[in-house]
Amino acid sequence: MRISTAQFYFQNSQQLTNKQSSVNEQVNYLSSGKRVLTAKDDAVAFGTLAGYKDELANIDKYQRNITQAENRNSLQDISFANAEDLMQELKQVFIQANNGTLSDADLSSLADQAGNTLSQLLDIANSKDETGGYIFAGYQTNTEPFAIQPDKSVNYQGDSGVRELQIAKNVSVATNQPGDVAFVNIPNEIGDFSANYVNNLSGFSVNNATIIDPSSYDPASNPPDYKFSFSAPNDLTVTDGNGVVVVPTAAYTAGQTIAFNGIEVQLSGNPLPGDEVDITPEQNISIFETIKSAIAWMEVGTAPADAVKHGVEYAETLSQLDQALNHMTTRRSDAGIRLQLIDSQESNHADAQLNLASGKSNIEDLDFAKAVATFEQSKVALQAAQQSFVQVKDLNLFNYI
Amino acid sequence: MSINLYQTGVSGLLAAQQQLATTGNNIANVNTEGYNRQRAEQNASAGIVNGGNYIGAGTYVQDITRIYDQFSYKEQLLSQSKLGNAESLSANLSQLNDIMSFSGEAISGSIDRFYQAMNGIADNPSDLGLRNIALSQAEIIASDFNSLNANFDQLEKSTNGEIEQIVSKISQISYEIAKINDQVLQNNDLTVAGQPNDLLDKRDQLVSQLGEYTSVNTIQDANGVMTVMIGNGATLVAGITALSVSVQAGSPDPLQTQLQLNSRNGQVAINGAKLGGSLAAKIEYRDEHLLEARSEINRLAMAISETLNQAQAQGLDLDGQQGRGLFTDINSAALQASRVLASNNNSGTLSANVSISDVSLVPTNEFDIKYDGTDYIMTNMTDGSVTNLGAAGAGTYTTAFGFEFNEASGAPNTDDRFTIRPTENSASLMKVTLTDGKGIAASSAVSVNANSNNVSDGAVNIINVTDPVTARAYTEGTNAKLTVDVYESAPGTFDYRVYDAANPPPAPVLSSGSFAAGASAVIDMPPAPAPVAFQIEISGAPVGQGTLAREKFTISDAFGPGNGSNAGFIAGTQEQAILAGGRQTFSQGLAVTTADIGSKASSAELVANTAQALFTQAYNRNQSTSGVNLDEEAANMIKFQQAYQASSRIISVANTIFDTLLAAVR
Repeated sequence: MRISTAQFYFQNSQQLTNKQSSVNEQVNYLSSGKRVLTAKDDAVAFGTLAGYKDELANIDKYQRNITQAENRNSLQDISFANAEDLMQELKQVFIQANNGTLSDADLSSLADQAGNTLSQLLDIANSKDETGGYIFAGYQTNTEPFAIQPDKSVNYQGDSGVRELQIAKNVSVATNQPGDVAFVNIPNEIGDFSANYVNNLSGFSVNNATIIDPSSYDPASNPPDYKFSFSAPNDLTVTDGNGVVVVPTAAYTAGQTIAFNGIEVQLSGNPLPGDEVDITPEQNISIFETIKSAIAWMEVGTAPADAVKHGVEYAETLSQLDQALNHMTTRRSDAGIRLQLIDSQESNHADAQLNLASGKSNIEDLDFAKAVATFEQSKVALQAAQQSFVQVKDLNLFNYI
Repeated sequence: MSINLYQTGVSGLLAAQQQLATTGNNIANVNTEGYNRQRAEQNASAGIVNGGNYIGAGTYVQDITRIYDQFSYKEQLLSQSKLGNAESLSANLSQLNDIMSFSGEAISGSIDRFYQAMNGIADNPSDLGLRNIALSQAEIIASDFNSLNANFDQLEKSTNGEIEQIVSKISQISYEIAKINDQVLQNNDLTVAGQPNDLLDKRDQLVSQLGEYTSVNTIQDANGVMTVMIGNGATLVAGITALSVSVQAGSPDPLQTQLQLNSRNGQVAINGAKLGGSLAAKIEYRDEHLLEARSEINRLAMAISETLNQAQAQGLDLDGQQGRGLFTDINSAALQASRVLASNNNSGTLSANVSISDVSLVPTNEFDIKYDGTDYIMTNMTDGSVTNLGAAGAGTYTTAFGFEFNEASGAPNTDDRFTIRPTENSASLMKVTLTDGKGIAASSAVSVNANSNNVSDGAVNIINVTDPVTARAYTEGTNAKLTVDVYESAPGTFDYRVYDAANPPPAPVLSSGSFAAGASAVIDMPPAPAPVAFQIEISGAPVGQGTLAREKFTISDAFGPGNGSNAGFIAGTQEQAILAGGRQTFSQGLAVTTADIGSKASSAELVANTAQALFTQAYNRNQSTSGVNLDEEAANMIKFQQAYQASSRIISVANTIFDTLLAAVR
């Protein structure tokens, strides 16, 4: 085929340009270490890559949340551990107080000690996190959640807000326990009602008063409080808040279960005629309320007005103190369970991250061995084109005439 | 005899001279673009009859022709247009790909950082520092969108500039071809065989240049005058008359410029996209690819603005006020108006606008609305589907595409047209409207607390908070301890009641009803006739333990500096599939757009490579016929030099013969 001189040079220069741009491209890949620089390089891979990057960014976010959630729950764990210690201490003091050999002065100093424990516990309940927010105030982080009143009762001023952080696509973990859950809503030791002894001659006590069958419990038609009155010979009558009889007068056998309106009540001891107790609905008793009654019990001194009733109250307060101590442990383990959840998510994320990162790298990152080989290839091709051009350009008949 | 020999020698000498001159001309023009090699056609002179014999009388040069194959030339011209088209489109798309890849990365990075800040607020809602960081990240998102849009503006402007340059170049070439036609006509002497080779080369070269810009067809008449047609047959040069092409502001979008062909008799509009060559590539790039990329980005900006604004509006800011919009309202008056472009030919007075009702449904397509005398007829410009919106005068027309067409004022005349771009300007007008970090609505308004005695998995959720301030006030004041109770009244039927603490049942409840298992109940709060502030959704199977022991849920005010629920909700929108009818998250949408442009760019590059190969083939074929080869010319030069020397020798022989004759008679 006839080749024109212009064609010869045109083709040679085109070849050189192509080879040069190929070398340049390889250099770009090599210097960035990436196979996909823009979407044009591999549109399909680019879409997949965006997915990987999204997932990795999400995991990053989750990991940041995990760090926060871990810190917050650890802080709660520590607070509850301290509260547990304090309650333990308080319990010992209270047990110590039930000793007939103690004088009024001894009791009053024990009461002072219990008072200190109360302030320390209050301090824990009002503790703040690193940002200055109250950790047991629910959403009301700027309000001191527990305020002590002149009568030593403690009011909760926060709310029930639970903050949650997302630590995986469908997993959120709470970062706080609101103060009401932590310190206020402690289950009543005897069930859903509290006992108020009007007359206690025999030293009997309410062991258990629970709503067994909520569908029959109708406080609208038979409003509380329910009054248990014992009469001679050993009869029991229960009346509701309106004075309507709910359990007609009948003989009471010690230890029997009294059931009415979906409520079951068990008494311990042998009530004597004239004994009378009111039960009033109270599902939860605040920890501060329990401590307050413990202190009040000790402050009564060595000579209570009604020794029998005083003794019954001691037993009740002590078991409620136990209940509060248990509650602190429950709260603590609640935080612990969250920490466990966080830990397991964290290791899930670590696995996923490794997986995603290697997937991303497979798509995006350059196979250096291959890239260097390709680069060498392009380089050799360019050199060959250059050299052959130099050689061929001298093949001109004019050189010989 | 010797005189005859003299003449023969001189004719050879003269012919060799012309041959040498032609060869020299070829060598001199070896690098002249568009030059076709020439050849002196040599012929033997007619013989002289002498004694019954024809004695040769030397030679003469009949013609100097150019070696020209019109078929291979036309092939080259055709592939030239295709190459011009493919290369230009590939270059433009590759530029767009670069911009999208890098800006896209920047945008998704800033979206990511914004959500990081939001996520931080969810953890620590009272931190003003975090709130300000979120605001400044939002500003970066807005400015990223603004600058990407400015980039698009710049691309459109420079493409328009290129179109104007090409158009003026075409007009110039048209003028020059007409001039050459004129010269060819003037030089054309039918008595002479020779052709004005250099003029013809020049003309062909001009046509080749034109071929880069548009597709070209040429017809040559008997006089050698060339008629040039561009595109699908629009005459650009008719004999010695040159027509010019000019650029006109487009309608309805003045920036989508249009082409017209100007002659003495008037103007004719031509469809630039159908012209072929780089001109068509530029117009296709501007009106299709750039427009689409821009719409995609606009839609993303719109979706982000709307989603975050809506999420803001559900919550309460640090001062307990309803969250104000983070970004410019997508239905601001300016945006609504800019989505409708009225055609310049409209004679009616209708001024219209478009408001967005559902971002997830909004397509990136353009729509054309035409008033046919009674109804508005809407055509989707991408797929051609037609919808009748209904008779004029109704004020608002809902469409299936997430937007509403509104008549603002005036009335249309028959055949008035409006172009709708539902996403127009969303990126360029995106601004952060919230100025104070306190304004971020991190707190939710109301929350639900399930009673600890509940026994089932039934749940009550707050949905669609439209007025958080009212919602909060409603659960706080007169309706404190707003309670929902539910129980299974008959198998598979759940009865619910909503009441407050002050008016417990059996007092009349605020709202009551029932729902079937598997379904859920949605209750407006406050109940009608008061305007709805939020809704309660009861779902699951809240069986309860009987009519006296129902599942109870208390709804109460949840506002507080430590409440970051709504911030958590806002942060969650990062992972929500909102775009494209709820299938893509923001960053997925962006990646899809970028990948789409990338694949267009890479296929355009493939097409350009193929076009380049085809052009090279055609060029080679043409060159192998018409190109100058220096080696060939060198050989020819020696050949003609030798012919010249030999002819000189004939003259000297004739001279010697003559001298011999003279000496014999002396």
